[in-house]
Amino acid sequence: MAHLPLDGIRVADFSWIINGPQIAQWFAAMGAEVIKIESQVYMDISRTNPAGMAERKPGPNRNGFYHMLNYGKKAVNLNLRTTKGYELACELIKKSDFVLECFPRPVAERLGLTYEKIKAVKHDIIMISVSLLGKTGAEPSTWVGWGPMACCFVGMFDAQGYPGGPPRQTGGTWPDYSIASTVVFHALAALRYRNRTGEGQWIDASMGETVIGQMHEWFMDYFMNGRDRRQRGNHDDLMAPHNTYKCRGDDNWIAIAVSNDSEWKALCKVMGDPAWTHAPKFADQFGRLSNRDEIDRYLREWTRNQDHLSLAATLQQAGVPAAPVLDSIEIFADQHLWEWGYWWKMNHHEVGERIMPGIPVKLSNVPELNYSYPPDVGQHNYEVFGGLLGLSNAEIKMLIEEKVIY
Amino acid sequence: MKKALDDITVVEYAELMSGPMCAKMFSDMGAEVIKIELPDRGDQARHLPPFAGDVPHPEKSGMFLYLNTGKKSLTLDPTKPTGASIFRKLISSADVLIENHPPGFLASIGLDFASLHAINPRLIVASITPFGQHGPYKDWKGCDLIEWAMSLAGYNTPTLVDDEENENPLRAPGHAAEMMGATNAAAAIMCALFHRDTTGEGQWIDAPCWQATVNTAKIEMAVYSYFGVPFSRLRGKQPAGLEPLPCRDGYVYTLWAADSHFTALKALLGNPPALDSELFDTLAGRQANDDALRMLIRQELIKYDMEYLVTEGQKLGLTIGPVYTVAQAAEHPHLTARQAFAEISHPVAGCFKYPQHLVSLSRTPPSPLRAPMLGEHTAEILSQLGISHEEQQRLRATGII
Repeated sequence: MAHLPLDGIRVADFSWIINGPQIAQWFAAMGAEVIKIESQVYMDISRTNPAGMAERKPGPNRNGFYHMLNYGKKAVNLNLRTTKGYELACELIKKSDFVLECFPRPVAERLGLTYEKIKAVKHDIIMISVSLLGKTGAEPSTWVGWGPMACCFVGMFDAQGYPGGPPRQTGGTWPDYSIASTVVFHALAALRYRNRTGEGQWIDASMGETVIGQMHEWFMDYFMNGRDRRQRGNHDDLMAPHNTYKCRGDDNWIAIAVSNDSEWKALCKVMGDPAWTHAPKFADQFGRLSNRDEIDRYLREWTRNQDHLSLAATLQQAGVPAAPVLDSIEIFADQHLWEWGYWWKMNHHEVGERIMPGIPVKLSNVPELNYSYPPDVGQHNYEVFGGLLGLSNAEIKMLIEEKVIY
Repeated sequence: MKKALDDITVVEYAELMSGPMCAKMFSDMGAEVIKIELPDRGDQARHLPPFAGDVPHPEKSGMFLYLNTGKKSLTLDPTKPTGASIFRKLISSADVLIENHPPGFLASIGLDFASLHAINPRLIVASITPFGQHGPYKDWKGCDLIEWAMSLAGYNTPTLVDDEENENPLRAPGHAAEMMGATNAAAAIMCALFHRDTTGEGQWIDAPCWQATVNTAKIEMAVYSYFGVPFSRLRGKQPAGLEPLPCRDGYVYTLWAADSHFTALKALLGNPPALDSELFDTLAGRQANDDALRMLIRQELIKYDMEYLVTEGQKLGLTIGPVYTVAQAAEHPHLTARQAFAEISHPVAGCFKYPQHLVSLSRTPPSPLRAPMLGEHTAEILSQLGISHEEQQRLRATGII
């Protein structure tokens, strides 16, 4: 394999479930040596969650949630609740550039994974702590929670609804992912700084605060004008029409967003220039914004019996921003994602060939990222504790029996 | 204040959300960011609401002010040959170029990656687009709604839909997809800077917003490709989902899957007899009777205040949080204690708070400074490039700067 951007950088990764592993996934794919340190006392939930089991059969090495978040890494076991286990973790930390953890604050403190303790082990370490709302501050810094709760705290779900309606939930566990590349950027900036100055630091990453950055218009409106914007549905400040519209078939939809007169004219042409579009009130952007609900009614009627995939393609060819709302079957089949190189095929000894999501950026000098298959439980125990820490095979075997390497 | 990236120079030839957000991350960390804006009009975001005092003004857009902290504004039109030659001078000593034009646009004005690389082999170019530099959709037009709607997250928002016809898929508040494109590009640029340390070579980064957003739906992907169930946003077609639930003075968000959580929830609600049924004793039982259980829990939650439920629930070990509005979040003592917002003073827009950081760093914290006024640094930057005062006047008269 050609030289990868993060060759020679090592991450002691104590994280689990989604946000930490997604951060470490970036590091690993870009060439860093990521040592995922797990304990079988509390197995990573992504290895055990029933909804990700291949063919619904349990097994820690055959779960799709785990596979999609953990390729390119090495996996070792350590029970941090044992003295010897914690000592070995410290030895790994001494040989690492980054420490990564995403436990709730009380758990991180119990396990000895605080910046204060870690920097005493290695003074120039860059420690990345990811949590719901940050690990300093008032009482919420101690809360237990997961991604969507961060959205709730900073106003995202309140703003997610239909105008005047109740708060609604954004799909998936949004902030777990949106924080990942944000943390990678800041962590690598901190590493550059350490390389120049010899000084490490603590990155205290709050999922809530990355969401605040994404919702800056809401916060700026509040700070500038005292206004609480609340729910806006799909309404936009500039564009109309700007919405999703029902198409033919089972829960199929198309999104259409028109930002200027030429896109509007192109849309009218595709519709066959119906009489209603000639009304003067729709002639300019301001008029369309003022009458967007009426336009939406006409468009809903027009899209109702059309195919969402071919209608989006037709509109795009005519120069109108449009998109089919893709479901999970369509997204795996999407030709653009294949040709661009987002998907890759994994050949796995337990689950066979699977389609895996890749890192969604391309670097022209890095034709292949590290997409080695997600490690089995404890797969690299001998390699890491032997090769890196210098333990003998007999010692490792004994530590496994003593449930230290466990 | 110590700055992590004060040895990096970034040229930003971008507007609206994705490119400017990416470059903001660099300027907040101390990089010098030179923002190229079209003469007269400037970045389109200057004309977008919200405006300070609700008065439309190119120096008062909250969106622009937030996305362009700490940058230098150079008005320049690189589509004109003289403008392009100044652009080339500018990038000859830069580390990074961030742009968000449609694929092929830079090439059409003679500023494609190969020519820029020939001038400055160490230059890293990041192109942030809706769909990427190649593939069937590369020329499709995008914006946040389009990129979001096409990702699985878009199909799945809002979750737990009862009325398929009338609850249409919604965009996430803010610019979620453009933000994903921006932060992915920023991470990739840092990787490329490390790569350059070893190889001495710059490179071209293709950072599409749609692919970045698709990448946030791994759970939904695996439920389909491993477990065999196509993901649905409709209630009843997925195992018990989660949603904000009403309490006396607002909403809370909570999870009662595990036995320990359910026990804590019952205790929080004063162990009401209705929840004591053996139907709900096991996880399987709770899932099988989700509708009935949810109804009973709703009837109890509505009797209590949000702060009580959250504070006491967390003490009992329950995963529970408040559902705040933006105004409530903006005034929350926890976010104040973490300095999540800080005042920035601007000569035209005035002085008010801004979101301070995306993540918090102990030694080199992100430190946003005020956004530039249109063309504020044009003379300074051109003089540094050795362009005389007289020449600048001529360029100004011909609309190049």
